Amino acid sequence: MPKWNDLQEQSFLESDARARAVGLVDEGTYTELAGPFDRFYSPHLEVLGEAVEFDDGIVTAVGKIGKTPVFVISQEGRFIGGSVGEVGGAKMVNTIRLAIEFHDKLVADYPDISDEEKPVVVISFETGGVRLHESNAGLLAHAEVMDQLQKARHKVPVITLIGSKVGCFGGMGFVAAATDAIVMSEFGRLGLTGPEVIEQEMGKEEFDSSDRALVFRTTGGRHKYIMGDCNVLVHNTIGAFREAVAKLAVLPVSEFEKMRRIGSPEAVERQLRAVALAAEMQPQDARDVWVKAGNPDPVALTDIPLDEFLADVKRLSV
Amino acid sequence: MEATETMMGRGRDAIDMIVDADSFNEGTIGAKTFDDPEFGPGAVVGTAALNGETVTIIASDANAFNEKFPVVYAGIIGMEEGYKMAQAVYASLEADKAKPVAEKRPLVLIVDTPGNGPGKVEEIFGMNKATGAYQLALAEARLAGHPIVAMVIGRAISGAFLCHGLQADHIVSLDANFGTMIHVMPLTSVSRIIRKDLETLQELSKGNPVFAAGPRFFYALGGVEELVGTIEGMRPTIIEHIKAIRAAKAAGEAEKLGPWGRGQLGAEREGRKVRPEVIKLMNQEFAAVAEKYAPSR
Amino acid sequence: MALNTLEFDLKLDEVTHSIDTPIHLGVVGSGDMEVLMEPKDLKGAVSVRIVTPVAGFDELWKRVVEKFVSETLLGDVHLEINDNNATPAVVLLRLRQGFAEATGE
Repeated sequence: MPKWNDLQEQSFLESDARARAVGLVDEGTYTELAGPFDRFYSPHLEVLGEAVEFDDGIVTAVGKIGKTPVFVISQEGRFIGGSVGEVGGAKMVNTIRLAIEFHDKLVADYPDISDEEKPVVVISFETGGVRLHESNAGLLAHAEVMDQLQKARHKVPVITLIGSKVGCFGGMGFVAAATDAIVMSEFGRLGLTGPEVIEQEMGKEEFDSSDRALVFRTTGGRHKYIMGDCNVLVHNTIGAFREAVAKLAVLPVSEFEKMRRIGSPEAVERQLRAVALAAEMQPQDARDVWVKAGNPDPVALTDIPLDEFLADVKRLSV
Repeated sequence: MEATETMMGRGRDAIDMIVDADSFNEGTIGAKTFDDPEFGPGAVVGTAALNGETVTIIASDANAFNEKFPVVYAGIIGMEEGYKMAQAVYASLEADKAKPVAEKRPLVLIVDTPGNGPGKVEEIFGMNKATGAYQLALAEARLAGHPIVAMVIGRAISGAFLCHGLQADHIVSLDANFGTMIHVMPLTSVSRIIRKDLETLQELSKGNPVFAAGPRFFYALGGVEELVGTIEGMRPTIIEHIKAIRAAKAAGEAEKLGPWGRGQLGAEREGRKVRPEVIKLMNQEFAAVAEKYAPSR
Repeated sequence: MALNTLEFDLKLDEVTHSIDTPIHLGVVGSGDMEVLMEPKDLKGAVSVRIVTPVAGFDELWKRVVEKFVSETLLGDVHLEINDNNATPAVVLLRLRQGFAEATGE
């Protein structure tokens, strides 16, 4: 593991799950839960003769940023695409559950507790969702995560980070959407249906999954920022993601409600206005929507440096 | 297994078979009405009486086609459908918000859906939000005390089952001989993608329910509370489960319901045996260091 | 179809040294591996456990680990590897990285 200071400058995109988890919290505060020395690998992969990993591809830990206890979940895309099975799913679910229980205990024990002393959950996604080798267990774990996200509402803020190679797709695409705040880099991708499946459904002339630029402007960080699906767009270093989390972590939980895209009748009405716009526009390309949002030169938006993009871009308002 | 009658593609018929005769009022839930017939036609929402009690019904219409979003047909849940289903849940919450927990109306989800909308426009605007919105609404209603029963009558496939079904308090399913399908992918596709031969997978699935397709495997994993053996059995089974859910909530045993409850059921039925071990160990490990993360005073 | 497990011990004739803290390193990506290195009283020996989907390379595994142990003069250490088709060069690289981390070199 590189030194903590070096991790801060390290590319988030290139970092493995543990480097991201360690670098996100303050130096020396990291405690891994169900870590590799516990050897909780997948018994189902073992039966199928598939390589196993001691942490089952999901790093779960607790650390601190300043005064805030931070429960971290970090997915490893290089291990079977960051897919979620029985063990990794249980680790994810129980990390959120532990954060909620800890919140309740702290509130009871410390009547004068401040917002920044209350726990948050941070999930660094890198996954296509369910692991097919244990698909049923993976699917059921997704439902458990959604349940815990709702149970965390108004208590423990849950912050999504997306900036790793695999992106965040499949069932985990809606898990991310259901969290309170979403931080992405421009290399992050968020969606439900992966590009290959869209091509399969619609034909190559409608959606060419090998067109990297097309894939990025449909699901990438800049697009999601314009759509309001990503709250904060940051540079591609662990330190930049950490800084974004640190700023969010001190806020009262009520502030997080304002950042949500879904989770209330009002949010659903707002999304339905966007869907009505989609029906009316029938966009052929994400750029059509960027123009609608007030960006007259959408092609330039892809190429300008990130800081310029953040200064110039108009975000869609419905 | 003998092939029998199937309910696949017959969501509207299922509503009539389950609720009290002629009681289904489509498009109205409490004060909320759904007046535009072209809005989310793949989702059927409304109010009915079940054993004399007011219930919200949410189902898919396999015969509907959404002109605005052509990926929506055959029971697929598109963006409009997902948000419409969420609206139906919020309307139920609103209608009963002044009522005590014991009187919150049940929600009955009739499940026959092959997927979430898989299109380009859907990705540009965020299909993930629509399906997520509905799940959060269901979880909120469940935690507020509304009993929620999902009745699988046909297809309960992958993300669509997560969207419409897996957030219920209890899930019941017509048994496999009715052609019900619960899976992420059929075993033939799993075999192709993970490159393991089909015969081996079929053999392994006899001892391990974790990857094979079908309601019986989900039963073994605790993913389905009960299998229903007859079509006539749907109505009384749902009534029974609503009663049991109410009793559990009244007794303060909500943790035995919903996705978390089904996790425990999966351990009892020995389909998911590692899950509780992982959870137990994490709890112990965190308890040992928790003090370090509490405020310093 | 199950995974292959390989277990063996190695002991050098020379004076060996152990490591101070347990180390975990690596990700089980395709063509890669992870290793746990734990200090353990084994009377100077190194115990090795390798779990891999690949069968039939037992001798090669032994030679590679032997090379690593003799160049580092390691003893009283338990090594545990999860492999996913790593080449001998990658195996040596990961073991050396693990050792460097364990000894702070």
